Amino acid sequence: MRATRILAMAWDNLKQRKLRTSLTTLGVVIGITTIIAIASLGEGFRSEVRQRMEQGFELNVLIVFPGSFTAGLRGGFSEADLEDIGRINDVNATAPLITLPTAELYNETGAKLGAFTVGAVNFTEMKEILPLRFRLLNGTFPQSGESQSIVLGYKASVVNETVVAGAGDNVSLIVKSSSGYVVYNSTFTVKGVLEKGGTSGITNFDYWAFIPIETALEMPFFKGNSEPYQIILVKVSDPQYAENVGKNIENLFPPYSVTVFVPSALMRQVDNILNIVQMFLVAIGSISLLVAGVGIMNIMTVAVMERTREIGILKAIGAKSRTVLGMFLAEAVLVGVIGGFIGIFTGYGLSYGLAQVLSSVMQPQRQETVLQAPETRSLTLNPVFSFEWTVIAIVFAILICIIFGLYPARKAAKLNPVEALRYE
Amino acid sequence: MTAILKVNNVKKSYRMGKVLVSALRGVSFEAEEGEFLTIFGPSGSGKSTLLHLIGCLDRPDDGEIFIDGANVLKLNDDKLAELRLNKIGFVFQFFNLLPRLTALKNVELPLTIRGIPEKEALSKAEEILQLVGLEARMNHKPSELSGGEQQRVAIARALINNPKIVLADEPTGNLDTKTGWEIVQLMRKLNEERKQTFIIVTHDPHIAETADRIIHLKDGLVEGIKESPRRG
Repeated sequence: MRATRILAMAWDNLKQRKLRTSLTTLGVVIGITTIIAIASLGEGFRSEVRQRMEQGFELNVLIVFPGSFTAGLRGGFSEADLEDIGRINDVNATAPLITLPTAELYNETGAKLGAFTVGAVNFTEMKEILPLRFRLLNGTFPQSGESQSIVLGYKASVVNETVVAGAGDNVSLIVKSSSGYVVYNSTFTVKGVLEKGGTSGITNFDYWAFIPIETALEMPFFKGNSEPYQIILVKVSDPQYAENVGKNIENLFPPYSVTVFVPSALMRQVDNILNIVQMFLVAIGSISLLVAGVGIMNIMTVAVMERTREIGILKAIGAKSRTVLGMFLAEAVLVGVIGGFIGIFTGYGLSYGLAQVLSSVMQPQRQETVLQAPETRSLTLNPVFSFEWTVIAIVFAILICIIFGLYPARKAAKLNPVEALRYE
Repeated sequence: MTAILKVNNVKKSYRMGKVLVSALRGVSFEAEEGEFLTIFGPSGSGKSTLLHLIGCLDRPDDGEIFIDGANVLKLNDDKLAELRLNKIGFVFQFFNLLPRLTALKNVELPLTIRGIPEKEALSKAEEILQLVGLEARMNHKPSELSGGEQQRVAIARALINNPKIVLADEPTGNLDTKTGWEIVQLMRKLNEERKQTFIIVTHDPHIAETADRIIHLKDGLVEGIKESPRRG
C-alpha cells in the first residue's frame, strides 16, 4: 500500500473523530508550546546577558595583575615585563596603568572632585585598547609633553549634577601618605571629560581621573622604582585567542606571581551556566510532551480495541501486518506533526507575550553603592526565533508520537484476523 | 479441469477455556477451477473453521492446503496476506464493510492495499459495482444500504482483485429468504460469467442445492460429497 494513501486514510480516520483528535493534539500543542516558549525566552535572556557582558567587559582585553590572590600581591611590572608580554603572539597592544588610590582632587574653589582613583596612563594606548571607554564628552586628550594635564571621568567632573571642574579648569592633585602627610601637591589643567561609561564590568571609569603616565613616573614615590606598573592591559587580535594569550602571559612569570583576568573565560562560564539552566528548563517543559505521549498511547489503545473488527476486515482482504501498523502509526505521526506546528506558533506567540509582561515587571532597581552607581538600563527581553529549536521541537513531537504510538499500533498489527473478525 | 484448491487431511483444534475442541479432524477435498461449491453442515460441524483455513486467515495444525499450486503452510504471514489479496475474495455473513467508507470506497479498498493509483482503482470499483447492480447506490455508506445491498457491496469487494477463489461464509445468514436467494443467484451468475471458483458455507439445504457439488461436513469430518442434480 502506498504511503500517501496510508496517510490519506489516517487523515480521514482522524477527521472522523474530531473531538478526540483535537484533544489528543492539544496535548502535543501544550508540550511544544512550553518547549518553544522556554527555549526562545531562554535564548533571548542569554543574548541579553551576553550583550550586557560584552558591553561591560571588553572581551579582547586581558587585565594582568602582579602577584596572585592566594599568594599575595607583589610590587608591580617592569618595562621588561611589558615588552615580554607585547611579544606574545596575537597580542596587538599593551598599556600599563599606575594608580594613585590615595590621591585627592580639588577645584579652584576648594571643592572636592568626585574622583575616587587617579590613574596614570598613556592616553594613545588606552584609546586603542579601550576605545569605548576612552571617549571624550568634551575637550581633548593631552598631547605629549603636556605633563600637567588631567582627564576626568564623568562623575569626577559632575558631582550632584553640578559641574565642579570642566575642560580648561585647574585642579590640584594632592597625595597623602598613610600617616596623613601631604607627599605630593601639584596643579593640573583639565583637558577633557570622558563620556558616561554606564554599566561596567571590572570597574567604572566614571569615578576615575587620568594623568599622563610620564608625570606619575616622575613623582617622588615612583621615581627609581624598577617595577612601577600595577596593571597591564593587553589587547588581543581576537577574543577567541584571549585564553591562550592569558596562559602564555602566566608562563612568562614564576608561578603565582601574576594573575590574568580573561573576561571571555568568565563570559564562557556564564554562557555555560545559562545554557545548563536553559536545558534544565526545557527538560522540565518536555515532561508535558511526555504526558501528551501517554495520552496518545491511551487513546490509540482504545482506538485499536474499538477498531478490532475493522483491522480483521483489512487483514482478511489482504492487508499485511505492516500496512496495519503503518495506518495506526500514520495517525500518531499526523497528530505529532499538526500538534508540533501549532505548538511552534503558540509557543513563539506565548514567548512574545511573556517577554512583554516580564520586561515590564522585572525592571532592575537602581543600585547606589559607595564606590559605583552604574547607570541601569531597562531590561529588554526579546524572545529569539531559533530555526534549530523549531526543528528540534517538531522532530521531538513526531518522535514522541511514534514512540508512544508504536505499542498500540503493534498491538493492532499483531491481531489474529479470525479472532478480530469475531470481535463484537 | 484442474484443481485450484486441494485440501489434504487437514486438522484444526482450538482451546475453548480449558477444553481442547477438535474443529476439523482430517478433512480432504478438491475444488476445480470455475466450480461452484457449497460446504454444508449443521452449526459446530467445522464449516467456518475450514473456510478460514482455505482463506488463509488461519493455519491448520496438520495436513496440507494448496491454493493454485502453492502450499499454504510454507508461506509466511506476508505471503499469506498477498495470497488473500490477489487470489482470494471473502464474503461474510455480517458483510464486514468498513462503516465509515462509502460503498465505492469499500470496494476500492483491496486495490488501494495493492497500491493501484486512486483514479484507476475508483473506475474499476465502479465497474464491479455495476456488475452487482449497485451503480446507483455507490456513494452511500453501509448504514444507508439495505442488507442485500450491503452484501452486494461485499461481493463486489471480493471480486475487485479478480481472485481465483471467492469464499462466502453464510452469505445469506443475515438476510431474509428472498434477498438471500437473490444473493445466491447473483453469485451463481457471476460464477458462470467469470469462471471463478465459489465456495459457499451454509447450513441452508436450499442454498446448498444450488451448487455443482455439496460437501457435507459433520463433526469435523467430510461425511460425503454429493454431485448436485443441477450438474450436467
